[in-house]
Amino acid sequence: MVSTSKFLKHLDTDRYLPAPLRRDLPAATGNGNHPVAGRFLVRDRSLTTMKKIISWANRTFYPEQKTAQRVPFTTLFSRFQHILSLNNQSMELIAEANDKLGGHYVFDQQYIRSFCEQLRELVDQLIYNLDGLVPQKYADLYKIFREINDDIAKELSGRLVIAGTDLVMPYAGISREYLNAVGGKNARLAEMKKVLGLRVPEGFAITARAFQSFMEFNELWPQVQKITDDWLQNRLGCEQASAAIMALIREATVPLEVKKAVQVALMQLRQLTGNKPLQLAVRSSAWGEDSEFSFAGQYKSMLNVAEENLFQCYKEVIASAFSPAAMEYRRQNGFGEQEMAMSVACQAMIDAAISGVIHTIAPASPRQTDLLISAAWGLGEPVVAGQISADQYTVSRKKPHKISAVSLVRKEKQLVLRPEGGTAMQQVAGARQNNACLTNEQVNQLATTALEIEQFFRAPMDIEFAVDRQGQLVILQARPLTLPAQTLQQHCDIAAIVSKYPVLMKDQGFIAQKGIGAGKVFVVNSSADLDYFPSGAVLVAKYASPLFARVMNRARGIITDVGSATCHMATIAREFRVPTIVNAGNATRVLTTGQDITIDAEENIIYAGTIDELCFYGLTTERLEETYEYRLLRRILNRIEPLYLVDPTEANFTPEGCRSLHDIIRFVHEKAVEGLINLHYTQQHDPLTLSGKLKWELPLDMILIDIGGGITARAKSGDIAIEQIASIPMAAFVKGLSSPGAWNNEPLSVDMASFMSSLTRTMPTELASPKYVGQNLAVISRQYANISLRLGYHFTIIDAYVADNLNDNYIYFRFAGGVSDLTRRSRRARFLQRILTENDFVVEVHEDLVIARIKKLPAIDIEAKISFLGLLVGFTRQLDVLLLSDQHINQFVSGFEMLLKKNTQP
Amino acid sequence: MTIQQKTSILILDDEPIVSKRLKPSLDKNGYEVETFVRSVDALSRIRERDFDIIITDLKMEGVNGMEFLTEAKRRSPATEVIVITGFATMETAKQSFSRGVFDFLAKPFKLGEILEVIRKAEIKRKEKAAAA
Repeated sequence: MVSTSKFLKHLDTDRYLPAPLRRDLPAATGNGNHPVAGRFLVRDRSLTTMKKIISWANRTFYPEQKTAQRVPFTTLFSRFQHILSLNNQSMELIAEANDKLGGHYVFDQQYIRSFCEQLRELVDQLIYNLDGLVPQKYADLYKIFREINDDIAKELSGRLVIAGTDLVMPYAGISREYLNAVGGKNARLAEMKKVLGLRVPEGFAITARAFQSFMEFNELWPQVQKITDDWLQNRLGCEQASAAIMALIREATVPLEVKKAVQVALMQLRQLTGNKPLQLAVRSSAWGEDSEFSFAGQYKSMLNVAEENLFQCYKEVIASAFSPAAMEYRRQNGFGEQEMAMSVACQAMIDAAISGVIHTIAPASPRQTDLLISAAWGLGEPVVAGQISADQYTVSRKKPHKISAVSLVRKEKQLVLRPEGGTAMQQVAGARQNNACLTNEQVNQLATTALEIEQFFRAPMDIEFAVDRQGQLVILQARPLTLPAQTLQQHCDIAAIVSKYPVLMKDQGFIAQKGIGAGKVFVVNSSADLDYFPSGAVLVAKYASPLFARVMNRARGIITDVGSATCHMATIAREFRVPTIVNAGNATRVLTTGQDITIDAEENIIYAGTIDELCFYGLTTERLEETYEYRLLRRILNRIEPLYLVDPTEANFTPEGCRSLHDIIRFVHEKAVEGLINLHYTQQHDPLTLSGKLKWELPLDMILIDIGGGITARAKSGDIAIEQIASIPMAAFVKGLSSPGAWNNEPLSVDMASFMSSLTRTMPTELASPKYVGQNLAVISRQYANISLRLGYHFTIIDAYVADNLNDNYIYFRFAGGVSDLTRRSRRARFLQRILTENDFVVEVHEDLVIARIKKLPAIDIEAKISFLGLLVGFTRQLDVLLLSDQHINQFVSGFEMLLKKNTQP
Repeated sequence: MTIQQKTSILILDDEPIVSKRLKPSLDKNGYEVETFVRSVDALSRIRERDFDIIITDLKMEGVNGMEFLTEAKRRSPATEVIVITGFATMETAKQSFSRGVFDFLAKPFKLGEILEVIRKAEIKRKEKAAAA
């Protein structure tokens, strides 16, 4: 294995060698042993004179190394092969990791760590080997690689990683992917608005990145560190340490970049809320506030804040991250203070007439059949903090949500907004003190909404709500409800309960979204039926259609006869977290509208009847997607898997453009192929390599260089007969090129003589290495061929590899240059584009440059494609002369297709 | 459903996620499941009662899996032990089998795979009981 330090050492060595002495990278031994022995090395850039002396010494004492500086071609090729193999291993490893998210596997953190370690080694070697192939050219890759790895290492150690998010994000732009940057409170509010269409306060998140920017701009971390050290070593009390840090934060300056971003968001918020001066609620939305680590209630919220006081309040809220309780909590749980990152929610203040809290499972409800609503007059803060008494409604979770108990209390006080800002406790008018603050309709609406939220987040929820002065329900916050341990761990015999219900369907189709739900079947035959889709029903349909999106927030499950787990509807179902089974075959025949069923999209079973216990079991079992390990792996794969470098011709196709490990893997592959293709124009070949001139009928000179098993025996005369070609791709190419009609195709009425002359024309010197001007060249091995055909000015490259593992197989084809004017040349490019595309190649055309690629085909198919290219090259060589009009393109396309047919028929 | 003694299973893995994932699935398949993350706790539990099947990791703090399963087999030879480990080597596999382990599963594994192994272990127990 090649370690980082070895790699760097080796880079240093080369950087400090004088240019004429800079050796090409050593043999592809892969063990990091570089043949530097016997050479004088200069390691210090400043020693120019010394360099000259050593340069002289090297030339004088090691004259043979002048030629030996070149790395044998076979070495480069084996390095290239090694890159291919590493590439495959990496891609497979990533694919396997992706499988783990599918729900069938049990994996632990140890697996995630070892996956990351293996991949790190592979990519490390990929970069190392590319550097061996094209020394120093992409040295920056290593920097990018290290950055990505640092992020992954941080993730693995449980630290917060906020990659590339904005300083401020409006709710409209937030999805659950940004959880780390905006915190759970902001993320869930934004999702409830976007996906469920619920009313939530308009607002934006000042992200964790803004927090980091704030701390760094004011150089607060070293000071925080010092104070924390003093506290941890008992030189300072927790209260004092907390006060000291909070004072630092209050006195610090919000960086201009953050201020600017906030001002823009404020302007947008004003536009959304009626262009009046804003009154804001500024709340904490910290990382981990209510997920794995329960910081709930530790942080500050500031209400009814005028715009001009926003930054002061922002500082207050982030200062509360260093409250004594929060610091103590982090100490006990082994978090460093620097791992703290506070995102803040800035919301348009809701002037609440009534506020309250809903627990979707009432703590005192032994059968988990009820939910609990608390409500009081005015703003909700004192209800949550337990400072005032509230009315309580115990409501059935089942429709029509019957109220089973009401406990009304005397509500003497309420918290209200002060016109001048802030809030104040106020006496409630006498008559209203004893009135119930919610109507039955409101209770019903709250219950329905709360269960919708629960269904969406697939966990019992703790929800804060307000009813504004217009009587509208607004959801202020929703977070997973922590149930008492005994509620979760009661030993209900789920298997025995479930066994009493008839199984309607089992193991039919694929689970597209896990989960358990129950409801009445509603069979959708046409999109018009969706208008009548009842809330809480299970959608059953023949085809999986993305049109179902509009009822998904009301569906308890989806079952389709046809469909795949990757279809568009399945993706939407996952966004809505609706338990979904697709491709179940005969669901529309087995199930009828109105029938009560329970869909267990964990075990893939459909039961007749409603199994409440199973639904509850599903609700209280931690979902795979919510587990730390799942989310960790998904976050890590986010740094690994997305491919941002799609187009090798784009300006961002550079080491700096790589944003994921996949990008690096792709980049290395692309540049390795490119490197090898370029190399034999600049590289002086190893004289020991077997080579010779191909002896054949065709009027073109072809030099073969065998780098391993490409030729059966050494040719005495230096000539190689077609039968001696053992290279699979070369043989295939020669077969195609020498097919009947490829060189003498009658339909084209080619004047053979003029055609021949074009073949023998010499190449412009800049396109060929001096030694081989006018020659055609093929570097071959048993499985590989790198063919450069100089047909007149036409400059064609074919680089192909054929092996048993289809993942290794590829063909790279490049056609460029021409003798005619640009219009005709572009016609030829279009002709090639059509033919190549029709024959499954991925094709890029840039004026007269055509690049086509194909890969991952079985050996036999790749061979056929190479033969096809041989035929095409032969056919195309003179086209620019003959393509006089656009109509000719069609003519030549059909001409070629006929020829291809003739040559591929047995 | 006939009234039948449920097959009892003890799961020991120092990473809570393993039990968290296995338990619901085994519950639903009608097994009686107890889970542990600390081998000392599991050890004191098997001193209180026998389990039909034990599923254990190998590499753990304190009492390691090999010691734990050796003790479990010593106390209750009829207990079938299934080893789950992320560090699967021929050596550990051999060592496990020489201690009378029923099967050896490399982590990560599929839920279906471990259910299959558990079913086989149950069959073996029944055959042994019938033979006795």
